[in-house]
Amino acid sequence: MQHGKYRFIAGFLAVPLGLYALFVVWPFIQSIYYSFTDWTGLSPEFEMVGFGNYERMLDDEIFWKSLRHSLLFALVLPLVTIALALFFAFMINAGGRKRKGGPAVTGVRGASFYQIVYFFPQVLSIAIVALLFAFAYNPDSGAVNSLLRGIGLDGVQPLWLGDPDLALWCVMAVLVWSTVGFFVVLFSAGMASIPAELYEAALLDGANRVTTFFRVTLPLLWDTVQSGWVYLGILALGAESFAVVQIMTTGPGGPDYSTTVMVLYVYQKAFRDGQAAYATTIGVALLVVTLAFAAAVMRLGRRERLEY
Amino acid sequence: MGSTSGENHESAGVGRRDLIRRSAALGLVSVPATSFLSACASSGGGGEDKAESGERTAKNPLGVNDGARMEFVLFDGGFGTEYAEDAVRIYEKNFPRAEVKFSATQKIQSTLQPRFNQGNPPDLIDNSGAEQMDMGVLVGKNQLADLTPLLDAPSYDDPDKKVRDTLRPGIVEMGRFDGEKVWVLYYAYTVYGVWYSQKALDALDEQYPQTWDQMLAVCAKARKKGMAGWTYAGKYPYYIPFSLYPMIGKVGGREVLDAIDNLEPNAWKHPAVKACFEAYYELYRKGYVLRGTPGLDHIQSQTAWARGKALFLPNGSWVENESANVIPADFGLAVSAPTGLGSSDKLPFGTLWASGGEPFVVPAGARNGAGGMEQLRIMLGEAASKNFTSKVKSLTAFDGGTDGITLTPGLKSGVAALEKAGDNVVNPRIQDWYVQLQKEKIGVAGLGEMMAGRLTPAEAVRKIQGFADETARDTSIKHYKHA
Amino acid sequence: MKTTENPAPVPDGSGAPVAGADHRAGPPPKEKREGAVLDVFSHGILVVWAVMVVLPLLWAVMTSFKDDGSIFGSPWSLPDRLRFDNWSRAWTEADMGDYFLNTVLVVGGSLVGTLVLGSMAAYVLARFDFPGNRFVYYLFVGGMSFPVMLALVPLFFVVNNMGLLNTVHGLILVYIAYSLPFTVFFLTAFFRTLPASVAEAAFVDGASHSRTFFQVMLPMARPGLVSVGIFNFLGQWNQYLLPTVLNTEPDRRVLTQGLVQLAVSQGYKGDWSGLFAGLVMAMLPVLAAYVVFQRQVVQGLTAGALK
Repeated sequence: MQHGKYRFIAGFLAVPLGLYALFVVWPFIQSIYYSFTDWTGLSPEFEMVGFGNYERMLDDEIFWKSLRHSLLFALVLPLVTIALALFFAFMINAGGRKRKGGPAVTGVRGASFYQIVYFFPQVLSIAIVALLFAFAYNPDSGAVNSLLRGIGLDGVQPLWLGDPDLALWCVMAVLVWSTVGFFVVLFSAGMASIPAELYEAALLDGANRVTTFFRVTLPLLWDTVQSGWVYLGILALGAESFAVVQIMTTGPGGPDYSTTVMVLYVYQKAFRDGQAAYATTIGVALLVVTLAFAAAVMRLGRRERLEY
Repeated sequence: MGSTSGENHESAGVGRRDLIRRSAALGLVSVPATSFLSACASSGGGGEDKAESGERTAKNPLGVNDGARMEFVLFDGGFGTEYAEDAVRIYEKNFPRAEVKFSATQKIQSTLQPRFNQGNPPDLIDNSGAEQMDMGVLVGKNQLADLTPLLDAPSYDDPDKKVRDTLRPGIVEMGRFDGEKVWVLYYAYTVYGVWYSQKALDALDEQYPQTWDQMLAVCAKARKKGMAGWTYAGKYPYYIPFSLYPMIGKVGGREVLDAIDNLEPNAWKHPAVKACFEAYYELYRKGYVLRGTPGLDHIQSQTAWARGKALFLPNGSWVENESANVIPADFGLAVSAPTGLGSSDKLPFGTLWASGGEPFVVPAGARNGAGGMEQLRIMLGEAASKNFTSKVKSLTAFDGGTDGITLTPGLKSGVAALEKAGDNVVNPRIQDWYVQLQKEKIGVAGLGEMMAGRLTPAEAVRKIQGFADETARDTSIKHYKHA
Repeated sequence: MKTTENPAPVPDGSGAPVAGADHRAGPPPKEKREGAVLDVFSHGILVVWAVMVVLPLLWAVMTSFKDDGSIFGSPWSLPDRLRFDNWSRAWTEADMGDYFLNTVLVVGGSLVGTLVLGSMAAYVLARFDFPGNRFVYYLFVGGMSFPVMLALVPLFFVVNNMGLLNTVHGLILVYIAYSLPFTVFFLTAFFRTLPASVAEAAFVDGASHSRTFFQVMLPMARPGLVSVGIFNFLGQWNQYLLPTVLNTEPDRRVLTQGLVQLAVSQGYKGDWSGLFAGLVMAMLPVLAAYVVFQRQVVQGLTAGALK
């Protein structure tokens, strides 16, 4: 086993690692370096300022607000998305009524139809989704309020994105809407792979569907759920939340900072205020938060692996 | 599977001339490392030299090198690209040997940022839009060329007149930040104010109100007809100042606006500010603001207004072009200087905010800065200016340029408002000097909250003063003062 | 009530009736009720979500045929006539035709590269102990979390100095590099779940490490490759930050650059109908591809069951 092992390892790692180091790690290291300077981003001149940017960040009220919102995103988005996706996937695969002589557990009628339809939002770029919903949330003539008026709820005409208490949730709802589909397909593929005998055994033990789900389905899907959790958390902290907040919200980031997330603040500092060094500092904070999040999920989620 | 990093390139089919690639790969280490280590490399590695200047003649007063390449990057926004393309054609005609590279983008900073860092920026930039590069930083870091040679050159149409003498009042001053040098030339000339439909006012049998009591009366009358008084870009509440700031200037005098620009302590606590805030808040309190306005973006609010859902809209003169698709033909688009409070106002009715828009800059590191300036000189000629005005329904920095072309209703009304204002034109600079303060803090967190009814005027004043003080204390921001 | 579309493998389901199915002759009333209620309930929820997903999309399609005035005036009404001029305007403005091919080239190349390189790295990290293993792993995972926008300037220099600016292969390499973190993260977890015994058996049989990988492990990892492939496809198809900076030559642009152009200019020009036409145009090919290949995607994802 030992023979040629290291040569093999080196050979397999060299290209991916080289490419990664060149185009990702090296630029990242350079930008982290900038967080110790006063680089504006608009000229090659800068000076070292030590930890000045970090001290400033700790005193920056908007930074703390954005951190809070980002953490909320990273907790709520995966939780809701994965719960919904598991629920839908279970319904699709095990929600059907038993039929004579059939398997113990069946999917609902039209299962593949649902799998196709639920995936739809995933094929749209998040920027498009955000635009679509910015339009739908328009309090004056948007689809949501028109619908409310249409069913006679004239009195209920929220400002949606214009209301600091609702705006963040409106944005999250859009992300949930657009991400659930992929996980339904992923989970339901996983569920379909679970041997029917396991369900049968559970049913024989007198378990109902709910307990079956928690005792059989969830443990067997745990690895997938965990990867999905990390993936969603990272999306929520980074790229995806940026696009929706940037396109949809007041300001963007408002009203009154109610939707400012870290990655938006990074963008504004770098691309609006000409303070690239400070933006990088917040970027480093974002890096720390994301790594901590991933580590926490992996640690909390560690379980006995079930072989079947 | 090999293990050298050369495999990288090989594997993706780049392997041709591996040797060159390898040496280039070494270069990739050296350039960022230079900017790493030498804290003030003024040009980060671009090797080319600046174009030699050509012979100065009457036709070529800036001494443009006839054979030098000229690069022009335009912001592709509400004004489109056609006007600039037309001007580029004139340049190409005048300098047939010169290659002109013209491009347009909405992402000015992402596209140009690396070029500035490399010391290889284009020769002329329309630095506008959401991704506008911060002008104060560019000036502070010596990235821009002084436009004085252009301003002192003879104008395109009349060799006896300098360019600076053909510009509208205030344009040259706006281009200054510190001292005498002029860094920015604002090409468009924008009239800010309250935009409305003359037809809708006629239907109410009303004139544009000059005092706030009249304003409230008109709004009340409009409401009886099922029309809201006001709407605005609720998601971008920094549109409110377009009518609010000149109103403050009219009520309390220019000094109040200057004090605000200068971030003076308690500038926002001036009674005129408070009175104007209260007047606007009254619009909300009496229900004269279109329902749902805080959730509308600029296009949505403009569309609602164009469809007759609301009477008045604070905006700038670009609205005529931007909303051309939705403004009905018989709308009677008009702009007015903002309504004041009453007879005790410091300045007369007609006091107007008008200033330059579309900031054009020539980078200090441009290879062919003279070419960039020459392109601007062409654009500031009467023909190009007229072309702009007739194509995009907006005035330019060139004083005049409206004779002989049919003005659209909004434009005509803007010209009339300018004439009426005479010397009473105000130009608050806070939106150029302190972008974050103006947009995010005063706009969204202050005025936006107040107009949505979530802050009282007194609270808004206190909050905004706090923001202004914070900005004044912030040492990472460069501060400016009115001369 | 039977569904045949369900891909659940049921090796012996019909042959040997088991569990509750035995009592079908006289089903206990409680269980029947539970089944019926659940059936209605689950169907209800599933239908509601399906409507929530389809409605906005249908609405977007419908809106793309309207004029600007009626988009705002009566958002729910059908278009008075099909305005194809919206579509032609969007087609020219976003240069869909030209950019589509570029996008297919770039995304196709990067997807293959990402999967090959990502699975190689992940396999080594998942199955071999060597000094620095954890370091390399976390180096990759860490890359998921740093905002790309901050690295744009240094990245531009790297790409420029290698002479890869404004080239398709340059863009492909960068896409691959930025897709590696999640791919490695995902596939490492996946390779760990594969039974070690098979690889060991192959190795004992005299296969080299690389042959074991390509001929034994990779086929076994198909479901993982398919899922991570979809993630990457969607991510790369929708990527616009990187091409904005690294790919500025007008005729080499990718689709998203055209679309972003359209979307941003909507903010300045107020051409809503054109925007919706562009949005619909951009989503249809991907949607169609998914509907056509849906069966393969689901099969690819489930193949692990047969291991």
